[in-house]
Amino acid sequence: MANIESGPPVAVAAEQFKQGGRLASRMVASVALPAAAVLVALICGAVLLAASGFNPWDVFTVMLAGVFQDMRSIAEVLLKATPLILIGVGLCVAFRCSIWNIGAEGQLYAGAVAATAVGVAFDGLTAWVYVPLVIVAGALAGAAWAAIAGLLKIYFRASEIVTTIMLNYIAIISTSYLVTGPLRDAAAAYPQSARLVKEAWMPRILPPTRLHVGILIALMLAVAVYVFLFRSSKGFAVRVVGISPHAARYAGMSVSRNIMLAICISGAMAGLAGAFEIAGVTRRLYQNISPGYGFEGIAVALLANNNPIGAIFSGVLFAVLRSGSELMQITAQVPQVLVSVIQGIVILSVVGFGVYRYRAVRPSE
Amino acid sequence: MEDLATLGFIATTLGATWRLATPLIFAAIGEVFSERAGVLNIGLEGVMLMGAFFGFAAAFTSGSIMLGLLAAIAAGLAMGLLFAVFTITVKADQIVVGAAINLIGLGLTAFLFRTYFVSTGKGVEIARPIAVPWLVDLPLVGEALFRQNALVYSTVLVALLAVFVLYKTSFGLTLRAVGEHPKAVDVAGRSVALYRYGAVLICCSLTAFGGAFLTLGHSNQFVEGITSGRGFIALAVVVFARWSPTGAFFVALLFGLFYSLQLQLQAQPGLLVPYQLFQALPYIMTILALMLVRNKGDTPAMLGVPFRKS
Amino acid sequence: MTITRRTCIAGMAAMATSLAAGRASAQAAFKMGLLVPGSVAEEGWNRIAYDALKRVEKELGAEVSYVELHDNPTAFEGAFRNYASQGYDVVLGHGFQFQDAALNVAPEFPDTVFLISSSYIYEGNVIGLNTDSSEPFYLMGVIAAKTGKSAGLIGGMEIPPIKQSFEGFINGAKSVDPNFEVPQVYLNSFTDATAGKEAALSMIARGVGIVVPNANAAGLGVIQAARESGPKVRTFSVYSDYTEIAPQNILGTYLADYGQGIVRIVSEVKGGNFKPESNIVFGLKDPDVMKFSYNDGATDAVPADVRSYVDEIKTKIVAGEIVTRQK
Repeated sequence: MANIESGPPVAVAAEQFKQGGRLASRMVASVALPAAAVLVALICGAVLLAASGFNPWDVFTVMLAGVFQDMRSIAEVLLKATPLILIGVGLCVAFRCSIWNIGAEGQLYAGAVAATAVGVAFDGLTAWVYVPLVIVAGALAGAAWAAIAGLLKIYFRASEIVTTIMLNYIAIISTSYLVTGPLRDAAAAYPQSARLVKEAWMPRILPPTRLHVGILIALMLAVAVYVFLFRSSKGFAVRVVGISPHAARYAGMSVSRNIMLAICISGAMAGLAGAFEIAGVTRRLYQNISPGYGFEGIAVALLANNNPIGAIFSGVLFAVLRSGSELMQITAQVPQVLVSVIQGIVILSVVGFGVYRYRAVRPSE
Repeated sequence: MEDLATLGFIATTLGATWRLATPLIFAAIGEVFSERAGVLNIGLEGVMLMGAFFGFAAAFTSGSIMLGLLAAIAAGLAMGLLFAVFTITVKADQIVVGAAINLIGLGLTAFLFRTYFVSTGKGVEIARPIAVPWLVDLPLVGEALFRQNALVYSTVLVALLAVFVLYKTSFGLTLRAVGEHPKAVDVAGRSVALYRYGAVLICCSLTAFGGAFLTLGHSNQFVEGITSGRGFIALAVVVFARWSPTGAFFVALLFGLFYSLQLQLQAQPGLLVPYQLFQALPYIMTILALMLVRNKGDTPAMLGVPFRKS
Repeated sequence: MTITRRTCIAGMAAMATSLAAGRASAQAAFKMGLLVPGSVAEEGWNRIAYDALKRVEKELGAEVSYVELHDNPTAFEGAFRNYASQGYDVVLGHGFQFQDAALNVAPEFPDTVFLISSSYIYEGNVIGLNTDSSEPFYLMGVIAAKTGKSAGLIGGMEIPPIKQSFEGFINGAKSVDPNFEVPQVYLNSFTDATAGKEAALSMIARGVGIVVPNANAAGLGVIQAARESGPKVRTFSVYSDYTEIAPQNILGTYLADYGQGIVRIVSEVKGGNFKPESNIVFGLKDPDVMKFSYNDGATDAVPADVRSYVDEIKTKIVAGEIVTRQK
C-alpha cells in the first residue's frame, strides 16, 4: 500500500488536486480560497455593523489589535483554539467516513465528566501518572458516548445525525444532574464539582499565561490523525467507506468496523477537548462548560476541507474570531452574537467558493 | 375525587401537548416535503428563529398578528432561498449549508433583537383562543383541547393539506419522484432543481410559521434562542415518522406529550427520581423509538445527494 | 491578501495608540467592567447587572464596559485580566461561577476591586455580593399562604440564587400554614418562555392559585399564563416590574435595585473608603436596594390585614428574628 493515492477508488479530494495540476494552483486552492471566503464573511459582517450604526473599520482594528496585543492575549487565543482544533481534527475523520457526527458537544461533556470523576477521586498519585489518567478517561468517555451512535447506526440503521443530536441533550442534562447531585462539591452550595486534585492539573507551558500542554498535544494529534487518514491503510479504508461503502465491501473492508473506528476517533478527540478544559483550565466541572465548541468544531473541520492539518489553522481562526468578538463587545459594545453570523457566512462562502470539494456520498442502504 | 383529579390531569396534559407540538408539527411537515424531494435541511432551528423574530418584530411594529405571520413566512422564504441556492444550484453539501443557516439564524435574530428591541420590554397581543362550538362542551377534555388559538387548530389543516399535496397531486407525485429517481424526472422533461426549490421553500415557510407560533401564538415576546432546540427535535420527528406527513403530525404530538408530562411530573410532590430524568425523557425516547422502528428502507433514496445532470 | 496585511498593520498601529491612550486615561477616568453569563437583552438576572452598570456610568461618571460570556468558564479569567490590565478600578463578575477566576486573577491586580454577585467570598480584593432573595420570597410565601391553599414555583435552573429564593418562599408559606402545598418545576432553560408558560398553565389547571417565576426571560411565559387564566390566578413580578403585562394578576413586585447597591459600593471604591469587613449581603434591611411593593390594581389585591402582618414579618426579618433560609 505504498502509493495509496493512486489506488483505484481514489479520494475525491486527491483527484481534484491532480486536476488542479501544479503545486502553485494547489496552494491557491488550499489557501487563497479559504482566505477569500473569510474576507467575504468579514465584508458581510462589516455591512451588518455599518447598518446598525457601528464603524466596521474601528471595530475590526480594535478586535485585531486586542487579539494580538501581547503574549497573554495570544495565549488566550491558543487556549480557545485547543478544543476547537481537537474537535475539528476528530470530525475530519468522521466526515471523511461520511459519518455526520453532530454530537461533539455531548462527547465533550462526557469527556469532561469522566475527567472530573477521575480527577477528584485519588490522593497521592504523582502528576506523571495522574494527568495521563485523567486525559485517557476523558478520551475513553468521549469515544464511548460516540460509540452509542455508531452502534445504533450499525445495528438499527438509526441516522447518526438524529442520534448524536439526542445524545447531546442527554449528556448536557446528565451533567446538570451530576453537578447538582453526586459530583457536587460538598464544601460549597454551588452547582459545581470539587476542585481537581492538584496532581491532576495539566501543566502550564507559558507562565504566567494559562496556556497548558493541551495545545501541544492537540497539534501532535492533528499531525498523527493526518498521517493516519492519508498515509495509513487503516485511514485509507475509512475514507473508502466514506466515498463508497460498496467499493469498500467489494475490496473486503468491513464497513461497520470502519464506521465504528471513525466515530470513536472523533468522539475520543471531543472527549479529550472536554478533559483538557477541566484539567487544564477550569479545574472543576460546571453545569455549562462549553459555549458550543462541539458545534463550532463542525465548521472548523469543514473550513479545513476535512484535512486535519488544515483544521489547526481554521481552529485558530475561529478562536481569533471568538476572542475578537469578546473584545469587540468590551471595547466597542458590539453584541457578541454577531460572530455566529460571521461564522455562518464563512461556511457559506467556503462552499460558495468551492473550497469544500470533498462531498460525502451517503452509503446507500 | 382522586379520579376526577386524575382525569383533569389528563385533560390539561392533552391541551398542553397540542400546544407544545404545534411548532414541531409545522417544522416537521415542512421537513417532510424537503426530505421527500431529497433535500436534508438541518437548518430548521435557524429558520424557526427567523420566523419567531420577524413575526414578533412585524406584529410589534404594526400591531397586526396577520402581518406578523406574513413577515415570518417571508423571512422563512428568504432563508429557504439562501439554503436552496447553495444546496441546489451550487450543489454544496446540505448538512454544511444547514449548519451555516443555523448559525446565521441564531446570530442574526439575536443581533437584530439587541439592536432594535432591547429596551422595549413590552410584548404583543397574542392570537386569542377560540372555542370550537359543541366540541368545547365535551366533558373533561373539551375545555382543555378546544379552547386554543387558530394557529393550534391550523396544524390539522396543514397535515391534511400536506397529505393531499404529496399524495393526490401531480406536483406531490413528481416531488416524491425527485427524491427517489431524479434521473427519471429529468428524462421526463421536468426540472429536478425547480421541484427541489419548491420543496425547500415550502419547508422553510412552514418552519418559520411554526417559529412565529412561539412569539405570536404562545409567549407574547421574542427571547433570544426561544426555539430552544425545537428545530432539531423536528428533524428527529421526521425520521421517527418515516417521512409521512400524518406520521409527523402524530409523532410531534407524542413529543409534545413527553414535554408536557415532563413539566407536570416535576411538579408532583414526593418524586423519587431526579427531575433531570424527565427532561432527558424525550431524547431517550427518540433513540428508543429509532431502535424500535429501525430503518425499513423507506428513506428517500436520494436524500442529501445533490443532483447532477450527466 | 494585501488587504488582510494592511488590516494587520493598521491594527498594530491602532493597538499602539489605544494602549497609550488606555494608560493615560487610566489615571484620569474611573472605570468599571462587568462580566455577565448571558445576554443583557434578557429580562432578569443579566439585565439587572447591566442596568446597575449603566447607573454607575450615569451617576458616578465612570467609564463602563461589559462582556457577555455565555456558558464559557474558560473565558472568565481572560476577561477579568483584560479589564484589570486596562486599569479598570472595579470589575463585577455577575454570578458565583466567576468566583474561581477572580480569585486567580486578583492577586496580580491589587488595585482593582473584584466584586462577585451571589457569592459569599471575602478574600483580599475579591468581595462577594449577595442579594438575599429568600427574604422577599419569604414575604411572598406568607402572602400566598394567607390568601390561598397552594402556590407553584417555576425556576430557570437549579442554581443557588433560585434555590435560595424558593427555600425562602416555602419557609414563609409554611410559617403560616404547615400544610401549604408548593409544587416546583425547573425548566432547565432561561430562554424557553413557551415551557415556562406551559408549566404555569399545568399548575393552574391543578388548582394552584399563585404561580411565581424565577427564570429570567422564560418567566415571562409564567406571567402570560396567569394573565390568560383570568383574574383569579395571581402571580408576582420578580426582579423587574411587569405589572403592565398582567395588571389584574400581579399582586406585588419584588424589585432588586441592584444598581443602587452597586452604586453605593462603587462610589465608596471611588472615594477610596471601601473597606468591607466581610462579604456584602443586601436584604430587606436595605430598602433602597430591595423593594417590595403591592399592586392595588390587582383583582384580588392583598387585603390590609395581610399587609400589616407582612409588615410585622418584614420587621422581624430585618431584626434577624426570623431566618428565611438555612445559612
